[in-house]
Amino acid sequence: MQNRNSYKKIEDFLSDESFQRWVRRNEDLTHWEEWTLESTERAKLVEEARLWILAMKVEETEISNEETQLALQKTWESIAQSNKRSPIKVIWQSNWFKSAAAMIVIGLTTLIYFTSETKIATNTTITYQELVEKDSDGLIEQTNNSDKPQLITLSDASSVLLQPKSKLSYPKTFTGNERKVYLSGEGFFEISKDPKKPFYVYANETITKVYGTSFRVVAYSNQPNVEVLVRTGKVKVSSNQDIKNAPIEEVMLLPNQAARFLRKKLLFEKILDITQDKPLLATTNSIEQLSFEFKDIPVSQIFRTIEQGYLVSIDYPTEKLNSCYLTTSLSDEPLPEKLKIICESLGNNTRYEMNGNHIIIISNGCN
Amino acid sequence: MDKLRTNNEKLSDSTLWNQLRSGDEEAFSLLFERYYSPLVNYGKTLMSESDIVKDCVQDVFVNIWSYRYKLNDAIAIRAYLLSCVRKRIARYHEREHIFSKVKDVDSLDFLFDFSIEEQLIADETMAIKVQHLNRLINYLPTRQKEALYLRYHQGLSVEQVAEVLNMNYQSTKNLLHRAILQLRKDFPISVLALFVEFSINH
Repeated sequence: MQNRNSYKKIEDFLSDESFQRWVRRNEDLTHWEEWTLESTERAKLVEEARLWILAMKVEETEISNEETQLALQKTWESIAQSNKRSPIKVIWQSNWFKSAAAMIVIGLTTLIYFTSETKIATNTTITYQELVEKDSDGLIEQTNNSDKPQLITLSDASSVLLQPKSKLSYPKTFTGNERKVYLSGEGFFEISKDPKKPFYVYANETITKVYGTSFRVVAYSNQPNVEVLVRTGKVKVSSNQDIKNAPIEEVMLLPNQAARFLRKKLLFEKILDITQDKPLLATTNSIEQLSFEFKDIPVSQIFRTIEQGYLVSIDYPTEKLNSCYLTTSLSDEPLPEKLKIICESLGNNTRYEMNGNHIIIISNGCN
Repeated sequence: MDKLRTNNEKLSDSTLWNQLRSGDEEAFSLLFERYYSPLVNYGKTLMSESDIVKDCVQDVFVNIWSYRYKLNDAIAIRAYLLSCVRKRIARYHEREHIFSKVKDVDSLDFLFDFSIEEQLIADETMAIKVQHLNRLINYLPTRQKEALYLRYHQGLSVEQVAEVLNMNYQSTKNLLHRAILQLRKDFPISVLALFVEFSINH
């Protein structure tokens, strides 16, 4: 170990066990206290290192002796079982063989994958076009050439508000274990919850992964940054592994946090306070400003809010629903889910039909 | 054998390891007892289902025994075991999605959040600072967080962290350094200086 008189970085202190013991348990066999007070410069570093240790507590649950003994017994039993098998069988059934076989399969697929990707990997920028070409499933592409946001409903009942001059590609129906879409430009996503099928948004060099939440992605091909802003739920944003010569970067985002990917530097900048970030604020959309928390509100008002937020029109039997009031929280739901919840709360004779941007509510009034 | 057990505390990891390599069952059991709890705790930072984590840790030990005669002698036991557990959990994920290219050793998510040493906090000013720093640390990318955990909680050297995370030495060093540098930038020293003066006068 290095002599402590040459410590110049926080790291030096953090990795010194006797320093840790002093901070944590006040054990001062080597006179840290005195040593610290010898110079102001030193005292500064020590105090900072102390804060680090206090802020990095690891809470662990110690496993009881009994449980450890049981586990040990189980382990010996598994060992005895694996010895009983005949040698040939052991090879086939051993985890080593299985995983070696798996590794070969994975190795081959990655090899094929990468050889077919070499064209793209010549540059650190990844474009929407390249991403879409790579996806072998038949994709539908929706381009918003109008001057208003456009609503897209996906096969899993997620909804996307696509901003003008933006494009989204997605499969007609999601198959397999993942849901993948490709974005160029800006979109606000509300994803239906399905823990078994993560939802991925590929946008330029970034991949946003979620299970069910709402968030905005801004990724114009001609802009220097990609931005992801989270409204509800938890989101993981990472850089695309196909970027040549760059390690995968990733950040976890919670509600009202955002990340900005600097495309030149291939780095993420995490924005913890979105209210202080001017570029982000400048582009806030109407749907993100509307509250979908309703407390004893006439259903007509709820429909009006949805019309404003998603730029859709809703037809409903005005007289029959005249005296219907609802208390409901719809913030964390995609549009189809919002409509379903409203219909269910109104009563079992209520349902909705959706035709592009036009929604019809069929109802005999509320209970 | 009884002698071994009573001396458990005194026997070093590498002594036990060498006895295990020559087929000593008691040495194997002692190492298991010593490392089962910390390994399960580490595994739980990578996967929330603790029953599967426990199975994975036991599998690691089954394999160690099965290949005892082929084990290397000059290794850092703790780092080696941590890295086995990590690989095992990654492999578990891999098998779950064998034909989708989602998880490999490099993309395991470190799910753990550091907490605060509440009882060691002297006053309000310090509490605010520690809370702020704690939040910043927990917002770090998962890989950086895991590197910090392995380096400063598990006490691994930079080389060993690199080995566990399957990275080269220089990038691991940068990863660790960047984590701290970044946070020191976000966590203004001026605020600290004030505090230092205060505690010196105190």
